[in-house]
Amino acid sequence: MKRYRFLITGVCVTAVALVATACASSAPKKKSTDASGNKVFVVGYSQSNNAEPYRAQLNIQLRYFMKQYKNLKLLPITDAHQSSATQVGQVQNFIQQNVDVLIVSPNEPDPLSAPVQAACAKNIPVIILDRSVNTDCYKSFIGGDNVAAGKQAGELAVKDLPDGGNVVELQGILSDQPQIDRDKGFREAIAANPKIHIIQHREAKWLKESATPIMQQWLQQGQKIDLVYAENDPMALGAYLAAAAAHKEKDIKFIGTDGLAIPDGGIRAVQQGQLSGTFIYPTCAQEAAATAEAIVTGKTVEHHQTLEVTPVTPQNAADLYAKYDDARFGSG
Amino acid sequence: MTTDVQTTTPSSPPTDQLDSASRLRRSLSLLGSLQGYIGLVLIVLVGIITKGQIFWNQQNLTQAIGAFSSRGILAVGETLVILTAGIDLSVGSILGLGSMVSALLLARHGLSPFAILPISMAVGALCGFCNGIGTAWLKIQSFVVTLAMLNVIRGIDRQLSDNVSVGTQIVTSNGTLTKNSHAFQAFGTPGHNVLSGVNLPFVGKAGIYYPVLALIVVVIVFQLLLSKSKLGRHIYAVGGNPTAARLSGVNVTAVTITVFTLCGLLAGFAGPIDAAYNASADPLAGTSYELDAIAAVVIGGASLSGGRGSVVGTFVGALILTLLDNVLGLNSISDNAQLIIKGLIVIAAVVIQRPDFFRSVVSAVRRIPIPTRARQSTSTPEES
Repeated sequence: MKRYRFLITGVCVTAVALVATACASSAPKKKSTDASGNKVFVVGYSQSNNAEPYRAQLNIQLRYFMKQYKNLKLLPITDAHQSSATQVGQVQNFIQQNVDVLIVSPNEPDPLSAPVQAACAKNIPVIILDRSVNTDCYKSFIGGDNVAAGKQAGELAVKDLPDGGNVVELQGILSDQPQIDRDKGFREAIAANPKIHIIQHREAKWLKESATPIMQQWLQQGQKIDLVYAENDPMALGAYLAAAAAHKEKDIKFIGTDGLAIPDGGIRAVQQGQLSGTFIYPTCAQEAAATAEAIVTGKTVEHHQTLEVTPVTPQNAADLYAKYDDARFGSG
Repeated sequence: MTTDVQTTTPSSPPTDQLDSASRLRRSLSLLGSLQGYIGLVLIVLVGIITKGQIFWNQQNLTQAIGAFSSRGILAVGETLVILTAGIDLSVGSILGLGSMVSALLLARHGLSPFAILPISMAVGALCGFCNGIGTAWLKIQSFVVTLAMLNVIRGIDRQLSDNVSVGTQIVTSNGTLTKNSHAFQAFGTPGHNVLSGVNLPFVGKAGIYYPVLALIVVVIVFQLLLSKSKLGRHIYAVGGNPTAARLSGVNVTAVTITVFTLCGLLAGFAGPIDAAYNASADPLAGTSYELDAIAAVVIGGASLSGGRGSVVGTFVGALILTLLDNVLGLNSISDNAQLIIKGLIVIAAVVIQRPDFFRSVVSAVRRIPIPTRARQSTSTPEES
């Protein structure tokens, strides 16, 4: 029995080792020219966390838009699993491979600043997506504006509640910067109508499963709720589920944010009348690919690009869904 | 006079005093026998005092227990593993995989819920079996095996889903839900009950919320398994003293593998509940649920070193966690204060429920110098 155990462990270890070598040898080598002899530039992209739907969408779109440029080749996207230490190592790997363009979605500003500076020192052009770093040496920063996303949601709330009313707010993780910004923008905008009051606000950690019981508790308390503002779509849909169970979904308006074009996302929910509106927070993928192309072809790029937030309404939802459709980009 | 006191002290008046002391002691030991429930009772009392009807009504309690149901089911499985002195950190991931498998089978293959549930349970049981093999056969510590499996299973889950959540409310072209999707809601989409129309005790014809029903049935079945079956006795034996268990003829390897498989099976059973509750399966569903499950087990009085604990205790632990959350939420306590209060109350609950807590209180009461007071009180009237 003991010998079998040893044998099986040995077989497993060998298999894992073989697979690992196979993977390593099949990893794409940096090529300087393609079949027709044109120069091909290698792009490395370090993602902070694949597991967030917004970032999964970003990855899919980036692969798609990179394919549009024949002279760009995107290496397999690395996933830091929300760990800055992992991401530092992955960025250093890209620097070792001497990529032509490095794109980074920093997990946190402080730990990622040093490797970004190291890339700059080796003359690798760096594009920073969405979150900041504490250095200015990058070629271009591309990001959305969360305060604007919150503000537009607030403006929609003011429009939805012309006579004022009671608003509840579902917040993401309280210390997250997008939460702080969206909350700030929303409160600024609803100040336009002093008859709108935020009667409750709670942290639902961006999660649908946390939003549902919180909304159930609010409904249980018996206060009249006219509108739910959630800082992302899953929380808005979680609150919707709770309201639907109490047959109050028709009396309450729901506003989300993110507007992902996936079957389970916010755009579809607006189309189906569950949300009264959501706001597409830009993934920056299209702009990142265009900026990478501009850099390698020697064009000048803007140092700081702030992208617009697109409001999703029942009128434009179908068109926007088609435009951003997940399926169009494929899942490869 | 001194002789008087000496003769009277042990006789009639002090017995009165001793009576009240022993009554106090007796009521304390009565409390002691119910101590597993004291934390729960206190939380329910706080809920009723602060919120009355808003807290103590069937709808609110159903919602509160329903929100915790999938974690409660994980905790039942976790109880079995902890009783054998092991730990399973992968239950949250298994639940996530079960939830994703259920949603995919529904959304992509249009399977009926009756087919989805056993498949999800089989997937969970397979994951649990791997944990068992790693622990019992490869002799890796369960903490390490299940920590590794936590990542492996989460990776499979995320790969299956492409990191995109999968909705379970599939709409046909005319805007209604498909038949199977409609049926799937019975697994726990808020507001959808099972057995409605049947006259049931307590709830009448409104039906019963499946996550609550499922949790209660699982608790009863596994409590009976532990207390009445041979496997149950073997589980306690393995956790209490594995060497003694082996010497008395218990197949420790088989028991360990069975326990992990059952734990995985239950996590797979909870998968569709989680998917239905959220009306979607998220690739991250169930993340850190293992901590809630382990917390429920330990608050319920189980020992992490094995051999002590019960499924009913775990159920009480789960109720404490979810009702505490509910009471704090209904009272609109701020988020940061909630974290502090929850942590402190969990510590308090564990201390109160400790088996020797009331014994030590009783002996402290005994040590209170009642006889001295008795002597003084008896001597005063005589002196006057």
